[in-house]
Amino acid sequence: MTTMWKGPSRVPEPEDPPGPDLSVDLAPGNPRELRLTNPVIAASGCFGYGLEYAGVIDVQTLGAFVSKGITRRPRSGNPMPRIAETPAGMLNAIGLQNPGIAGLIRKYPRIWETWRVPAIVNISAESVEEYAEMAAILDEQPGIAGIEVNVSCPNVARGGYCFGWDPGMSAEVTAAVRAATTLPLLVKLSPGAVDIVSVALAVEEAGADAVSLINTLVGMAIDTRRRRPVLANATGGLSGPAIKPVALRMVYQVAGSVRIPVVGMGGISSTEDALEFLMAGASAIEIGTAIFVQPSLPLEVIAGLEVWMRAQGVENLGEVVGAAHPAGIPLRRSHAQVAS
Amino acid sequence: MSGVQGALVHHGRSREIEGDVVALEPAMGDSTLLTVRVPSAVAAEIRPGRFFDILCRPDGSSDPLLRRPYSVFASDPARAELQFLVRPYGRGSAWLARRRRGDVLDLLGPLGNAYTLDPGARHLLMVAGGVGVAPLVLLAREAVASGRNVVFLLGAADASGLLAAGHLPSAVEYVVATDDGSKGHRGFVTDLVPDYVRWADQVFACGPEPMYRSLRNGLLPLRIGNRPRVQVSMEREMACGLGACLGCVVETKRGMRTSCVEGPVFDMDDVRW
Ligand SMILES: Cc1cc2nc3c(=O)[nH]c(=O)nc-3n(C[C@H](O)[C@H](O)[C@H](O)COP(=O)(O)OP(=O)(O)OC[C@H]3O[C@@H](n4cnc5c(N)ncnc54)[C@H](O)[C@@H]3O)c2cc1C
Ligand SMILES: Cc1cc2nc3c(=O)[nH]c(=O)nc-3n(C[C@H](O)[C@H](O)[C@H](O)COP(=O)(O)O)c2cc1C
Ligand code: FES
Repeated sequence: MTTMWKGPSRVPEPEDPPGPDLSVDLAPGNPRELRLTNPVIAASGCFGYGLEYAGVIDVQTLGAFVSKGITRRPRSGNPMPRIAETPAGMLNAIGLQNPGIAGLIRKYPRIWETWRVPAIVNISAESVEEYAEMAAILDEQPGIAGIEVNVSCPNVARGGYCFGWDPGMSAEVTAAVRAATTLPLLVKLSPGAVDIVSVALAVEEAGADAVSLINTLVGMAIDTRRRRPVLANATGGLSGPAIKPVALRMVYQVAGSVRIPVVGMGGISSTEDALEFLMAGASAIEIGTAIFVQPSLPLEVIAGLEVWMRAQGVENLGEVVGAAHPAGIPLRRSHAQVAS
Repeated sequence: MSGVQGALVHHGRSREIEGDVVALEPAMGDSTLLTVRVPSAVAAEIRPGRFFDILCRPDGSSDPLLRRPYSVFASDPARAELQFLVRPYGRGSAWLARRRRGDVLDLLGPLGNAYTLDPGARHLLMVAGGVGVAPLVLLAREAVASGRNVVFLLGAADASGLLAAGHLPSAVEYVVATDDGSKGHRGFVTDLVPDYVRWADQVFACGPEPMYRSLRNGLLPLRIGNRPRVQVSMEREMACGLGACLGCVVETKRGMRTSCVEGPVFDMDDVRW
């Protein structure tokens, strides 16, 4: 039986030996920093605005959480059905239902400001200007620790071609957002890119503090009885354990090239999965779909990492990041450097 | 859409809990009545219409991935027991129906809102299609206990798919319809509704969406103003059950509403059909 959350994780006693260091800074090059007490983050679209889970798990223990994708104007989203289960995964076509940036600001920053857990706002847009405008608005808000830029969005000025599939377009968005805010900036990469490494390098060059990956893979399911796609939108984003090997490969490749921290995600459902992403070169991880299945999972992974580190004699998680690369990965400053 | 999403609604604390299977018995055709022991505080939070998201797969497997929502059929806080009526449909329900005494289930809940009885309502009409009886049986028990009169209409394909009358309090007037006429009215359960519309102070329904459409078509011409009011439980596929994924929404006249938190029970007149 999986161990289930029975209360807040154990509070360390004063006489406890110093525990292993799970902390991480996802924006080491930014004076505003994005320091997390541990590397486990709840992923965008899978955790609402944090409040949805606040009554169910101890949200404050997370490394951070990312809000649902926000747009400049409110959106009512796609028609139903919006989700479909697939083998060890699910498709979603929510269509970015959200209250718009003004709606977000009216309600959440004053709540998040009182929280210990850092809140990262995920933004989506259909033009470079819109991304920058939203970043500028968020810059002045309290209670926001960073911005995750979702570039898996159609660029209307380019006939709807996805920003995130093109290094130039991704860099343009990153530069515009960078100019509009000093907040720590994560750029969330799309697995649909022809060459995800060149997109990662382009956004690093354009001023991203970190990259996060992967967003969902575009997929579909067909209802043979009705001879129609299951989703009203026909296609949707595939997530969950089914995408893990692909996500891991992409994280491995990107982490082998960039010098900024990498946040890995895609199907993570256990401590073991989280370790795989860390060893592939991720400085932190996000958990999405698996939270739907087990809301307490992120807390279980935090505890699981700590147990693993003690058992392995690992004092600083930085020792593990990129361990699976035979020749190592470029030095990054996400973790305190320990003399080896 | 207005852009203002519904305020977060809390109908009581929901959580991940373990439930011990204490009994399984056949009920209503090929369905299974599953009795689960849970913390008694959880059993005390049950309201008719609320549900649990149950993990329907063995430990260590990722398939089927998502939890399945099941309405509470009965709750006994004194014995710390809940009952669910599980109709075999696909993989999740088949797995659940194969549990044995002593197995441990992983439940998330209780989730969602509940049917609400108007304080002045004396005459209640309940309309159930198939396994949709589950939340209405709980509601009927509560209504009878508070001295109200209940007419309970149930439709099924044939006589073998009907709920044994013993599951309902004896004070309930139980009327059935079968597609093949093997018991009760031959035809749809909604054919029976017009006879009771003028009598009913409130109507409560649970069943598939086509049933709601015919219920609505039959009711609209007979209602006086918007009386009687009708509450329906909307079935949606769900991922999170907590209002986070927005995969389960119902389009209402006030915008998109989550059926897992702001539902599953909606006023029929609020839903855009
Ligand atoms: C609020 C709520 C309460 C519920 N209460 C009960 C209850 O008390 N008892 C009960 O037996 N069931 C109940 N259900 C339905 C239940 O959650 C499952 O959907 C059902 O058991 C089928 O799951 P499965 O895994 O067996 O089928 P799946 O393997 O999911 O089904 C196979 C296929 O059928 C489709 N499908 C699944 N469910 C439905 C459906 N209901 N209508 C049309 N197509 C469908 C799926 O998309 C899939 O393609 C409830 C649902 C909701 C939303
Ligand atoms: C229902 C749902 C909604 C999502 N919404 C967003 C979103 O608004 N913005 C975004 O950048 N990613 C969104 N994602 C993608 C996730 O954040 C994550 O990148 C992806 O699901 C892979 O991780 P997972 O397999 O752990 O879920 C969404 C995913 C799901 C399942
Ligand atoms: S199931 Fe996720 S919002 Fe309802």
